[in-house]
Amino acid sequence: MAAILEVTNLHKHFGGIHVTRHVNFSMHEGEQSAIIGPNGAGKSTFMNLLTGYHRCDAGKVVFEGRDITNRSPHEIARRGISRAFQVSSIFVKMSVAENVRSAVHAQMRRSFSILGAASRIGVEETGRVLALCGLESKRDLIAGELAQGDKKRLELAIALAGKPRLLFLDEPTAGMSIEEARSTMELVDRLNRELGLTVLFTEHDMGIVFNHARRLTLMHRGEIVVQGTPEEVRANEIAQKVYLGEHHV
Amino acid sequence: MSAPEVQPGWLARHGLARPVAMAMLVLFLLVPLLPGEYWTQVSTEVLILGLFAMSFNLLYGYMGQISFGHAAFFGVGAYASAMLFVRLKTAGGSIGMLDFFLSLLAGPPVAAFAALVVGFFCVRLTGIYFAMLSLAFGELLFYIVFSWYSFTKGDDGIQGLLPPLFFQDAVNYYYLTLAIVTLAFLVLWRITESPFGYIMRTLRDNQRRAAFLGINVRLHMLINFVIAGSFAGLAGALWGPFSRSVNPGLLGWQESGVAVFMTLIGGAGSLIGPLLGSVIYTLLQAVVKMYTVYWPLTIGTIILLIVLFLPGGVLGLIEKRLKARRSAGDGET
Ligand SMILES: Nc1ncnc2c1ncn2[C@@H]1O[C@H](COP(=O)(O)OP(=O)(O)OP(=O)(O)O)[C@@H](O)[C@H]1O
Ligand SMILES: [Mg+2]
Repeated sequence: MAAILEVTNLHKHFGGIHVTRHVNFSMHEGEQSAIIGPNGAGKSTFMNLLTGYHRCDAGKVVFEGRDITNRSPHEIARRGISRAFQVSSIFVKMSVAENVRSAVHAQMRRSFSILGAASRIGVEETGRVLALCGLESKRDLIAGELAQGDKKRLELAIALAGKPRLLFLDEPTAGMSIEEARSTMELVDRLNRELGLTVLFTEHDMGIVFNHARRLTLMHRGEIVVQGTPEEVRANEIAQKVYLGEHHV
Repeated sequence: MSAPEVQPGWLARHGLARPVAMAMLVLFLLVPLLPGEYWTQVSTEVLILGLFAMSFNLLYGYMGQISFGHAAFFGVGAYASAMLFVRLKTAGGSIGMLDFFLSLLAGPPVAAFAALVVGFFCVRLTGIYFAMLSLAFGELLFYIVFSWYSFTKGDDGIQGLLPPLFFQDAVNYYYLTLAIVTLAFLVLWRITESPFGYIMRTLRDNQRRAAFLGINVRLHMLINFVIAGSFAGLAGALWGPFSRSVNPGLLGWQESGVAVFMTLIGGAGSLIGPLLGSVIYTLLQAVVKMYTVYWPLTIGTIILLIVLFLPGGVLGLIEKRLKARRSAGDGET
């Protein structure tokens, strides 16, 4: 299988703190894997670097054979990378359906359509994404007034509306009930299995990590410490020491 | 200044958008039935400034950025149109019907061009920085018009913008204004309900997220800035023949403040809010000025009260009432 994402020697520091250090990382098409690591390890920063939110100080990011290093977020999104944020980042004063619909419009390249009727463009796709994420019954609610778990689901819906080929999920189940977390991760599995969507997620719940990732990358202080199958990582001594030990797995 | 209070589109959500707009149109149509010319004149002002305020609200209510320099485009439109007007005037001092309309049409494109230049810089910023830069550019344009005497006649302004005989009649000019503003309103409505209009709302709520959807944030903001500027320019073009003159004050920060005030009074949450704000502001001004010279004090107090107690403007208050009644109704069933 071809590498869909190839990261070489990525480096980033904020002031004197090096938050990403010489990271080499790659993903195969259709793979579903997780980045784990203690708080402040640099997991979110890594995603921010890959999606153009932060500038990389050094290194190279190649997506589907094309160099996207330090491209702007909107260019990277248009290439086919979507992301969902750790802290839900939605359009709080718009309705749930409008949130998703605008993401659909952006994906359809209709964002410049000035005289078309928004309510008649991308209706089916909007409905499909809402149904997929179990948000149909909440479509007319104001996004900012949703419960925490629903906000995270909307967060995912917005990301999916972009029809990505590579999806980054930063703690997709944070703030969700156990039931919500289970159904969300089942959805992610399904997208990965049925559509071949390549997924990279971060997660603190090791139950979820070991159930839903086929490959793990453990980050610690901006560096990749261990990489491998869940079994390999679980058996690794350093992994036990820096992270897994405290999670009793 | 925090983000606007009410979600645009709530009138539509309540199924009220059309009825409210229709009711306002009917009322506007009936104004000339009032005895005397005075109220017709006042209503012309209501419409022109209302269009100006609605164009401002594209930036504020929809895009989430407040401009303190929006009058620059109102003024540039007024000047562009006035300068063409005086060039098209015959030796006798009158203007032909076709030339008159031609001069009106000059306002929007010239204002749009000014907005393109100013917007190019403003859209790089947000929040208070956007507001300050727009103010700075507004004052800059004011100063250019004010001091470039050979081109703009400086603080003398341009006088004698007497429209064709037919439109010198206050009622006829009023209906012309009503027709143009209604048309402009419909186009603005289209825009705010378009995919682009909703992208504006996403930028108001969360620019970072919008960028990750593949939206080129600055480019979209710039386009909206130009659209807002050109509608302000259209309002400005209507102003000259109405007041028979233009002066640099039309570009100044006080005029920009008028759009801000009207929008705060009526509510930033809908397209029609600023127009309603214009009705309230302009009528109030007309009445207050009959009795006292303390108009600035009066409007200052009103704005203070609205900001403190009615953050969504008049329409915001109505919405809250509707919501309260609706949930009370739910409780009974
Ligand atoms: N914009 C920023 N400016 C300065 N420092 C930052 C910035 N963003 C992140 N950091 C620092 O970089 C380090 C890594 O943070 P990051 O958010 O990537 O960690 P994380 O692995 O996602 O942690 P968590 O599990 O808590 O989400 C932290 O020390 C953090 O304080
Ligand atoms: Mg994080």
